[in-house]
Amino acid sequence: MSAAFHTDISPVVATGEAAFQAARQQRRLATLVAIAVLVPCLLLAGWVSEAWPSTIWAGLPRIGEYFWRILPSLSLDHLFGGTKTEGSLAFWFYRAPEWLWLLFETANMAALATLMGSAVSLVLAFPAARNLSPSPLIYQLTRRGLEALRTVPEIVYALIFVWAFGVGALAGILAIALHTAGANGKLFAEAIENTDLGAWDGVRSAGGSWALACRYAILPQVLPNLISYFLLRFEVNIRSASVVGFVGAGGIGAELYQVISFNYYEEISAIILLIILAVASIDLLSERLRHAIIGRLGGPA
Amino acid sequence: MSASIETWRARLPAAFGATRAQVMTRRLGWTAFLLWLAAVLWWFDFTPVRLWNGLSGLGVIIVMMIPPSPGELWVEILKGIAESVAMAFLGTFLSATVAIPLGFLGAGNVVTATLLRFSIRRVFDGFRGVDQLIWALAFVRAVGLGPLAGVLAIFTADIAVLAKLYAEAIENVERRQSEGVIAAGGSKLAALRFGVLPQVLPVMLAQALYFFESNTRSAAILGVVGAGGIGLQIAERIRVRHWDEVAFIIILMIITVGVIDWISGKVRRKLIGERGRQPV
Amino acid sequence: MLQIQSLTRRFGERTAVNEVSLSIPAGQMVGVIGRSGAGKSTLLRMLNRLTEPSSGRILHDGMDVTALKGQALRDWRTRCAMIFQQFNLVQRLDVLTNVLVGRLNHRPLISSLLGRFTAAERAMALEALDRFDLADQALQRADTLSGGQQQRVAIARALMQQPRVILADEPIASLDPRNAKVVMDALRDVNKRDGLTVLVNLHHLDTAREYCDRIVAMQAGRVMFDGTPAELTAEKVREIYGVDEAEFHEQAEEAVRPKHTVAA
Ligand SMILES: Nc1ncnc2c1ncn2[C@@H]1O[C@H](COP(=O)(O)OP(=O)(O)OP(=O)(O)O)[C@@H](O)[C@H]1O
Ligand SMILES: [Mg+2]
Repeated sequence: MSAAFHTDISPVVATGEAAFQAARQQRRLATLVAIAVLVPCLLLAGWVSEAWPSTIWAGLPRIGEYFWRILPSLSLDHLFGGTKTEGSLAFWFYRAPEWLWLLFETANMAALATLMGSAVSLVLAFPAARNLSPSPLIYQLTRRGLEALRTVPEIVYALIFVWAFGVGALAGILAIALHTAGANGKLFAEAIENTDLGAWDGVRSAGGSWALACRYAILPQVLPNLISYFLLRFEVNIRSASVVGFVGAGGIGAELYQVISFNYYEEISAIILLIILAVASIDLLSERLRHAIIGRLGGPA
Repeated sequence: MSASIETWRARLPAAFGATRAQVMTRRLGWTAFLLWLAAVLWWFDFTPVRLWNGLSGLGVIIVMMIPPSPGELWVEILKGIAESVAMAFLGTFLSATVAIPLGFLGAGNVVTATLLRFSIRRVFDGFRGVDQLIWALAFVRAVGLGPLAGVLAIFTADIAVLAKLYAEAIENVERRQSEGVIAAGGSKLAALRFGVLPQVLPVMLAQALYFFESNTRSAAILGVVGAGGIGLQIAERIRVRHWDEVAFIIILMIITVGVIDWISGKVRRKLIGERGRQPV
Repeated sequence: MLQIQSLTRRFGERTAVNEVSLSIPAGQMVGVIGRSGAGKSTLLRMLNRLTEPSSGRILHDGMDVTALKGQALRDWRTRCAMIFQQFNLVQRLDVLTNVLVGRLNHRPLISSLLGRFTAAERAMALEALDRFDLADQALQRADTLSGGQQQRVAIARALMQQPRVILADEPIASLDPRNAKVVMDALRDVNKRDGLTVLVNLHHLDTAREYCDRIVAMQAGRVMFDGTPAELTAEKVREIYGVDEAEFHEQAEEAVRPKHTVAA
């Protein structure tokens, strides 16, 4: 029986084998070409960015040393000692109240910026959706405008706004909001472009104006998506808000910049740990919220 | 009509608006939101005067940006752009390479020890919370000013995210194919090499290219904290208020990012076809 | 009186509606029949101005509908309500709000944007729903309703507009026979009781004969027949379409079937 099985299957195996060999050959060639492109690119990139294996190698001990120093020197005996006891958690986090307040400020900056930016996106997304736009010109204008807003990084906006609005959270919030308007505007517009236009025809045929059709035919369909994008952007913006302070635009960034610049080693790890915890808990919260909202409003239509 | 309103209200009260409790919670929610809004606007000093002054200052800046000009140090600008792209490329390459073994470590079906995996995942997530700019600043202190710090920052910030994505990609394909190799008598390592790798490599490559695109954007700003690239140039121009040169650099940045996106997209499609679009 | 004069619509090379002229007295129930692609939908959509005519005119009681713009156009749309094959309700909104959409053009913009409808409007909407036995579903989401129920909600919405004309584009093509009858009865009721002019696209000759005072048969964008149901004999159908009635039905069914049908 096994012999019969063998003769039955062997032609299939033969053609399969040939195809396999051919595919393999082609894959080899592709790999060779890829290597031939990759290696010069790597060399060039290494040369331009002064990152040779030797420099990296030479840098490693210093990196090791630096990050070693950043780590807190905790001792088990005094772990729960007061702020004056060296080796205790309290000593490591001796400025925790100020940092927590700064983190709170950072989170509020992110929330306000996300809100402001997304509000702008919401208004611009409808004319920027190809299927609804009142005219091709308006579509092109809003779409390209959103693209321009999105392409400039927050920190560049922040640098400029610190000049215009002065040092402080205001500049940072406006910077993040502007970038958010562009980023969310594009996502919102794409969500709108994916909606079914049946309801649109329904509202328009009943004499509803363009704005009312957006409100009644489109908004209910895309709302769960928009809320999702809003919360995801909030998560991203928490990270952004934690660094705009590097250029004087508010939040915990200024403090972090100081402790890193002045090599207050242990404080660096303390602040970074706090940032990680804050970001993680906000991510968790926002994920919960997203699921809850999708659950209540129903999944994306 | 009012008679019919009353009959209908009696029959279907919910159709005529929310119940008292609903109205109260809704009102409470709005009040809380508005209070928060007023509080933060006050806290962050959103005063009309300040906004007005800022906007007029911004207007002046925008007027001074036109026409954009490369200034005298345009060689420096070009060098900065090249440096940014090189930093992004190298940083992505390094993290993508190191992320492969880490991805296998993080994948549930390769490392079966749940606790180990759980802690690795948490570490991955932790790294994600730290912005690239923070890493850049730290590396500038560690290895000095210059693009090397930028490369290391990109490497460190991406490694965790890439490893996480790789782990997910591996989990997605693992079961189906490696069982075949093991059933054919292959070792666990052979199963990885012949069963998993051929399937996940294209996905990994596509992801690395996506990261290259996004890193080009971030490499453009790492220079703000001294980690090399065009960001340094832009920060300096802003410091001395050469707005026309700032505008020039921003435009150049946008063009560079666009070109890199275009090239990377092309390569992605060429190398892996439509599979590269597979969301993982 | 609705007058259509040499109405034409071209899509690129293709002429969907070709020099159609009709004169429809108020209160008439007109069935428009024709194969797929005959231009029935395009004709109806032009009457509501969802589709712009390429040439020709539409007059309603002497007013040139084709020249309307802005608020005047929206007022016209309110006066000629439209019903669609796929119901075109807002699936994620409740039935009541869907019906209230018919009032949008009658009320101030800001309160409409905020969704603040008055108690009188709500009662009116419930009244309209109750007429089609749907008042109890008023607070359900539209997508929880069957196809037949959704189409009746669409008719209730149309009535909320207090229209003079109702345009129904294949209103029963997505429905099973029982629901189809309920919906057609509702349309007839609206025509007889409220005296509204009804233009209904149909692909079933029997339905058209049963319900309509007058039948217009279209073929390749042109009107090939315009008369009473009695005049549309089997010979006439063969003369226009070159096939007998059974084959015509088959082809017409074919045309509407691929558009996904909503389970009743
Ligand atoms: N938006 C459009 N763009 C291009 N061509 C169109 C468009 N709408 C309709 N057409 C064409 O116009 C012709 C008439 O279409 P119409 O939808 O009016 O026919 P119909 O009689 O309603 O057919 P059906 O029974 O399939 O609904 C068809 O050939 C169709 O392809
Ligand atoms: Mg049609």
